[in-house]
Amino acid sequence: MMLAGLFGAGLLGWPGSKMLADLDQEQLRRSMRQAYGQAGLTAVEEWLALLNRLQQQPVNIQLGAVNDFFNLRVGWRDDIDIWNQKDYWATPLETLARGKGDCEDYTIGKYATLRQLNVAEEKLRLIYVKAWLGRGQGAQAHMVLGYYHTPGSEPLILDNIIPNITRGGERTDLEPLFSFNGSGLWAQGSSQSRADPLERLSRWRSVIERMQQHGFLRGR
Amino acid sequence: MSLIKQLWLIILGLLILAFSGSLFISVTSSHDYIERSIRLKNADNTNALALTMSQLPKDGVTLELLASAQFDTGHYRLIELRDTQGAVITRHQAETGIENVPKWFVELIDFNVPPGKAKIQDGWQQFATLTLEGQHGFAYRTLWRSTLALTGWFVLAGGISLALAWWLVRRIRLPLRAVIDQAQNIGQRRFTTAQEPRTQELRELVQAMNRLSTVVGDQLGKEGQQLESLRRQLQHDAVTDTLQRSTFLDRLKEHLGSQDYRANGMLILLRVVDLAEYNQRFGHAVTDQHLRELADTLTELAAEYGNGMVGRLNGQDFAVLLPGANDLDNMRDRLYQSLDALSDTAGDAGVTFALQAAGALISYGPDDSQPLLFSALDNALADAEMRGERTSLSVVTQHQNALFNGQEAWRDALQESMSQGVQLTSRPVIDETRQLVHMEAQPELFLSGEWRHAGIFMPWLTRLNITTQFELDMVDAALAEIARNGLPVSIHLSTASIYDARFVLELRERLLANQEASRKLWLEVPESLATREMDNLRSFCRAQHSRGCHIGLKHVGTDVRRIAELRDVGLDYLKIEAGLISHLKDNDRLKEVLRGIASLCHSEGLLVVAEGATDSAHAQALFELGFDGVAGPGVKRHPDGHHIIED
Repeated sequence: MMLAGLFGAGLLGWPGSKMLADLDQEQLRRSMRQAYGQAGLTAVEEWLALLNRLQQQPVNIQLGAVNDFFNLRVGWRDDIDIWNQKDYWATPLETLARGKGDCEDYTIGKYATLRQLNVAEEKLRLIYVKAWLGRGQGAQAHMVLGYYHTPGSEPLILDNIIPNITRGGERTDLEPLFSFNGSGLWAQGSSQSRADPLERLSRWRSVIERMQQHGFLRGR
Repeated sequence: MSLIKQLWLIILGLLILAFSGSLFISVTSSHDYIERSIRLKNADNTNALALTMSQLPKDGVTLELLASAQFDTGHYRLIELRDTQGAVITRHQAETGIENVPKWFVELIDFNVPPGKAKIQDGWQQFATLTLEGQHGFAYRTLWRSTLALTGWFVLAGGISLALAWWLVRRIRLPLRAVIDQAQNIGQRRFTTAQEPRTQELRELVQAMNRLSTVVGDQLGKEGQQLESLRRQLQHDAVTDTLQRSTFLDRLKEHLGSQDYRANGMLILLRVVDLAEYNQRFGHAVTDQHLRELADTLTELAAEYGNGMVGRLNGQDFAVLLPGANDLDNMRDRLYQSLDALSDTAGDAGVTFALQAAGALISYGPDDSQPLLFSALDNALADAEMRGERTSLSVVTQHQNALFNGQEAWRDALQESMSQGVQLTSRPVIDETRQLVHMEAQPELFLSGEWRHAGIFMPWLTRLNITTQFELDMVDAALAEIARNGLPVSIHLSTASIYDARFVLELRERLLANQEASRKLWLEVPESLATREMDNLRSFCRAQHSRGCHIGLKHVGTDVRRIAELRDVGLDYLKIEAGLISHLKDNDRLKEVLRGIASLCHSEGLLVVAEGATDSAHAQALFELGFDGVAGPGVKRHPDGHHIIED
């Protein structure tokens, strides 16, 4: 299920990290209220408060806080139950507003939030993993967010199954298969998206578009 | 800038714009599409290969094999694997593969495709970065080819469009040209009507101008008719509409004194013997009616001879002048037939024509005097009358003191003298300011030791059928004369020549060969051409006019109405015959007619010249009536170049 998103995901990327300046807060509030009512508005306010709180914090605090924020506020459900789509990638605020999401939704939410907090893109990777849930339940496709302090180092894993941040090596229940991040989707030095029809097919593109609509990115 | 040029510029501009626009759009959209496809391919292949590598053992041989297996398919320019420190693990690179594409095109297109990059994972750790660049040299070639093909198609389409445009422009230009010609014609007082073109705006314009032409034409026609009726009142006999005695005799005198074709011909005198008894028997009305029928018959006969005219000398006597006619016996028979035919029809009053007529025919030549001619005719008429038949005609045979005896002698003499050349003697036609209009040239041939005027040899030229040859020689002489002294020269052409297609053709060639002199050549044709052969005259004018020469009618005076019809013929001037302008003094009604003629001519853009101005007072009177030029015995040119009119 998760592998289906792979080739699209290869193109994904994240706009230049310009922090809160890129957020159109009014637009965010408006669109979320429109879509999810009071719950949406609350989610936005909480999320913005988180960003404000964490802005000047060291990265390990940011990682922990973001991980906890999403793990606490979002309950795990399969996409098909929430969105009536098999593999729907929600934006962080959609996830927060619903309070429900599957593993990709957690991972994307954390990734997007950390990028908003100016964490370097090359340090963050979304990792497809095989998760052993134990006791004969077999393996399941899963996604976690990895934080690489250096390209060669062992990553810190932000996951929703085990809510604490651990080093990759400690997670014997997870078997990493492949990882990616947003680099390559955006042209060098350009904040303009390469808007073309083929790329819109990508799940990431669709997430980003929706984020733009919601007001994540100003003046696009 | 001309309209046509602007049209062409617009068409060319549009074509170039369409071509360059389509080419630009096509190239840029292909460029974008290709660039995107390559980028997607780079990303996809990188990810697929990185994914595969992530799942395999990370030893050098396996990675190298995987990379080269992928690379050897040939669709890659670069496959590179670097570890997390940036050191190269394996690297395969190929040529750019841009072939058969001009360098400038490559630089212009310059695909900007970032290489595909993906991380290879080894457990939780990143193992290496895979960089992959697809081979896109082919894309340059494809784009170059399609650009060439597109250009080719555009050249083809452009060619077809230009052909269409040419056709379209021509469709506009031709009627436009016709409209311009018509406007110019109207500007020159030639009120032609033009064919209506199919283009709507032009059609409306042409319709408007045609209406203008028609209105003006009708107007002129009315004026002409009024003038003609005035002239007839003045110069014609009220009952029979033939010339009055004095007018007829004036014209006869002019013919006898002329030095051209009119100096030879035939004179007929016809007397109604029983006029008094007829009057008594049938009354005035019937008599006048029958006199009219007789006069009409004679007029018909005169018209047949082109420049002939009929006059009523007194109540009983009619005279017919037929310049150029020479076969007396034949004419006598014709006259018998015509008069007999009259008797066969019942007149309007129910009374059959029964006038008893006696007549005499005589030939006249250049040296004959009018009194002698008439006394000879009177004698012959008395003979005819004696015979007492209802119609009796006598032919006066008189001794011809000819230069040569018989056709052969004349032919030889004429051929010989023509081979020596035609000599022109000229007299000036001048305008009111004493400036020369042109020199009126008379041809002369050297015959029997002397230069002889055309009146002497013209009948023989006609008889021997060598008039056209002679007149071509005359044209040559005139052109040579113009070339020599630069003065404009007029010459007179005969009707026979103008009917002769070969003559017209050769005349054209001569005018073409002497374009400079042609502009100073004034060609004159007989008035009868305008009365009888308007179409012929029109085509002659059209054929010669473009060469720059002037064309005019000579000896105009028998029918003024015709002047109104000359408006679209293309003539430049008229010469009014001396008979019409003589006895001008104290004759206010004649002055009125002449003033009318001059203004009618002017409104048609014709110059009007009077022949036979006798003295300076006469000339001055003519100028005051509106004449543009005068010629006559009193008009002289001094060798130093100035002109006078003798008192």
